[in-house]
Amino acid sequence: MLNLAVATDTLPPVSAAEASAREEDHALVRAAGAGDRHAFEALYRRHVRRVYALLWRICGHEARAEDLVQDAFVRAWQALPGFRFESAFSTWLHRLAVNTALMELRSRRGNEDLETGDEALLHHPAGDDVERAASGAELERAIATLPPRARAVLVLHDVEGWKHEEIAAELGMAVGSSKAQLHRARRLLRARLGEGHGRE
Amino acid sequence: MGENELRWQLRQLPREMEPPRDLWPGIAGRLTVRPRHRRFRWTGLALAASLALVAGLAWQLRPARLDPVGDLRADLVQRQAEALVAEYEAALRELEAVPVPPELAPALDTLDASALEIRRALAQDPGEVRLLDQLRRTYARRLSLTQRAALG
Repeated sequence: MLNLAVATDTLPPVSAAEASAREEDHALVRAAGAGDRHAFEALYRRHVRRVYALLWRICGHEARAEDLVQDAFVRAWQALPGFRFESAFSTWLHRLAVNTALMELRSRRGNEDLETGDEALLHHPAGDDVERAASGAELERAIATLPPRARAVLVLHDVEGWKHEEIAAELGMAVGSSKAQLHRARRLLRARLGEGHGRE
Repeated sequence: MGENELRWQLRQLPREMEPPRDLWPGIAGRLTVRPRHRRFRWTGLALAASLALVAGLAWQLRPARLDPVGDLRADLVQRQAEALVAEYEAALRELEAVPVPPELAPALDTLDASALEIRRALAQDPGEVRLLDQLRRTYARRLSLTQRAALG
């Protein structure tokens, strides 16, 4: 019991560095919320790499990711006065960015089947063949070939660490559907990677 | 590749990526307007309350034909209508800077023209409750459309 108590006491919810970064963010948010564009640019500079990585993986397309990043930050600027300081700004921003990407996915529903069957994987063109660092490049390309909805669930759960409940709420689906999409995405990904290795 | 290995590899992917170009200029150019959500919401609520009050008051004070105090009631309703117009215009002034999407412009113009027409009719027949109700609905619709444009 004592060990548990000590262990609990020595595990702060966030590190000192994280707490400091959060405070700095909140100071910038207050200024930006009052109309200070320089403060908002500082927030952009602090968070753009994270947001870009997230959106690049969810949409699987470099140029589209750039547009989505810009859309997300413009929406953030408009919504900033409503930020309640109850969570980290980064959490709020990432949710807003994901929401922006999903809105875009839904708007393309007419042109692209979000519920593409497994067989489509074999014929799905690779996304942007951006050569990133050698480590993980193959995995990134395989992720880009996944059907959009399965890809979104996989990225949010396995890369970003979201819970199924959070994903289901954001994507407007049942928790069971989120789990099924994840299972399917992993299976497709393994098949894709196996296929790649087979050709080599 | 096993599932655990796949999950481990996914967790190792970089959480940050440098965009191929600086995206800030494209963002900065779009930060022209900041809708004042909270203030607008309260203004909207206050206006809605005023609209309801005016409509209710007008209904209660609707003049009976040949009522000796009808003129006084009509004058009261007319003044309430003027207050309604003033509050509505104040609410819209808060959103003046919001660019109106081209597709909404014809609808807004039509509503403005309708409101003007109703106000003229009210000036001629101040005791006409039906006109006051029409004005209330027209303003509510106009404000709703403008708010939609403001919130994107």
